[in-house]
Amino acid sequence: METIDAANTVNLSSHHTGEAMESSFAENFYLPFLQSAQNADGGWGFYPGSLSRVEPTCWALIALAEFQSGEEVGERLSRGFQFLRASQLPVGSWPAAPEQEAGCWVSSLACWALVSNKESTDAVAAGLRWLCEDWPKDSSPLRRMLKKFSSMREFAQHNDSYRGWGWTPRTSSWVEPTSFALIALSQCPRELLPRSAARRRQLARSMLFDRMCPGGGWNCGNPRTYGVDGESLVIPTSWALIALREEQDRPEIAASLAWLKKNLSGIQGSSSLAVARLCLEIFGEQHLITDQKLKDAFSKNEFLRNTVATSWHCLVYSKSQRWRAQPVMV
Amino acid sequence: MARSTRDGLTMQDSLIPSFQRPPSRVAIRHAADYNEDLAAILYETLREFDPPIRGKTVLLKPNLVGLDPLGVMNTHPAVIAAAREIFLRMGASEVFIGDGPAMDRDTEAILESVRLLEYTGPLRRTFVDFNVDDVKRVPLRTRASRLKELYLPKSVLGADFLVSMPKLKTHHWAGVTLSLKNMFGIVPGSCYGWPKNVLHWAGIDRSILDINAVARPDFAIVDGIMGMEGNGPIQGEPKASKVLVVGDDPVAVDATCCRVMGLVPERVNYLARAGTLLGHVNPEKIQQLGESIDRVRTPFAVLEEFSRLREN
Repeated sequence: METIDAANTVNLSSHHTGEAMESSFAENFYLPFLQSAQNADGGWGFYPGSLSRVEPTCWALIALAEFQSGEEVGERLSRGFQFLRASQLPVGSWPAAPEQEAGCWVSSLACWALVSNKESTDAVAAGLRWLCEDWPKDSSPLRRMLKKFSSMREFAQHNDSYRGWGWTPRTSSWVEPTSFALIALSQCPRELLPRSAARRRQLARSMLFDRMCPGGGWNCGNPRTYGVDGESLVIPTSWALIALREEQDRPEIAASLAWLKKNLSGIQGSSSLAVARLCLEIFGEQHLITDQKLKDAFSKNEFLRNTVATSWHCLVYSKSQRWRAQPVMV
Repeated sequence: MARSTRDGLTMQDSLIPSFQRPPSRVAIRHAADYNEDLAAILYETLREFDPPIRGKTVLLKPNLVGLDPLGVMNTHPAVIAAAREIFLRMGASEVFIGDGPAMDRDTEAILESVRLLEYTGPLRRTFVDFNVDDVKRVPLRTRASRLKELYLPKSVLGADFLVSMPKLKTHHWAGVTLSLKNMFGIVPGSCYGWPKNVLHWAGIDRSILDINAVARPDFAIVDGIMGMEGNGPIQGEPKASKVLVVGDDPVAVDATCCRVMGLVPERVNYLARAGTLLGHVNPEKIQQLGESIDRVRTPFAVLEEFSRLREN
């Protein structure tokens, strides 16, 4: 049974010696954790010692790639890329767990993680094709027509002509998988994108704007349920903003950034803290979440020894910030 | 022992026609608020049930839905801590707490929000996040829903004694969310997302049956001290029933909770069906311990869609 070991804390007092230490913080703490957590098959589990899965492997690779230096990291990246390529299903998608026969939302992350690896170009192209052919079922033309004739009270009033991506194929559009797909598409070189990519991006962006909560920000994708306003959450808000960063002049972006800033003091989880800081820095808001606050979160419980949370914190401290701009082929 | 039902290989123990199933026992205990000595109340109650937990691994599955500063949405940490203390006192070798919140992947933030740490002490080797646990493929042989299989956390499948610990709440799609619906939380977000939308597409009522057929709780402790009525399970209004409802049959516990809420359990779709194979809904098959239902009945408001569930 993999449990959270919150008592296994780290004394950081000797490292609180000023700003000069900040840049090396991730290299001293997060990177060694990620490196040691890599499994023999090249992948990562959600916790050290757990079975390799696509999602934590993607986040670990995206984070490690930001700190690429030296043979050891290069070799780890190479084994991680290999794990991802081996995990790809014949249709081009990736499954969330070993043995699963259907791909899902993690396919976006896999494309994003592999795009910087020359040997994975074919895998990425196949993944993008699958992604662009994977339409949510809730907004299909047939569903929309049936809905018009339905007498059932509407649970939520979405504009179903906008379509993003679901967590699993042939279900409904949700904010986070749509955001990850948009980020993946923005990271990939144009020559790898299917023809339908531009249309999918346009529909998905519209879907995200349509699903924004009334006061700014996003939750999973239900801004109003049975007429009651939904409450925004930090992680979906941050990823949606990152996915929509090219549209920063829109009022929805300003409202959502304002929501995020207003709610910073209440953030209690280390994952939320890291993604919120990443997001704010992308929008030019530096250090609204201090290094000390991130360190305190680490000191408290080592991010519950979770690979994804550690990777997100790693990204906060990345020097190259390559993933925030155009991909670089290595 | 119910453990054999959770490895996905056999389900004979969990699926028993109601006419063959022995009567179930459900206890209702009054607790005015969370400052009462809940451990004493639970100890007294569990001694009556004498659950077979000595030397076993017990897994408590509370309902942790989201950030909840008012303490209305999630199972209260005082109840979780009391249950943990009592199962250990009664001889369990280990007592874990686990859940896979459905709407927010920052489980750590939810744990902080409910202040679980303050009640249970350090979470060292105690809490399992089902959303990111290792998983195992489990075929769904009941096929109540369209799902053929689910990938479920190994922690749940490997536990000796599973305790569902929901909050007493109404639910805008299922009518009520109690110990059976609470088991949605074992379905891992890392496989199915936040929310676990595939279950909605497969049919909520039917998915509840499928999940409980492979992971039927051995015991249920419902936090009805403060519940939620109306547009639950997140956006409803607080409703105090001031009770803990405890029992060795999750269906019977849920049926009793419905009666406490002034609702007819036979009219809750998934409960009516669960009453044929998973446990008892029929009050004649439920031995009532502690307070009587009439004494603690607290009618809950329901959405218009569920007005048919009301007793009158």
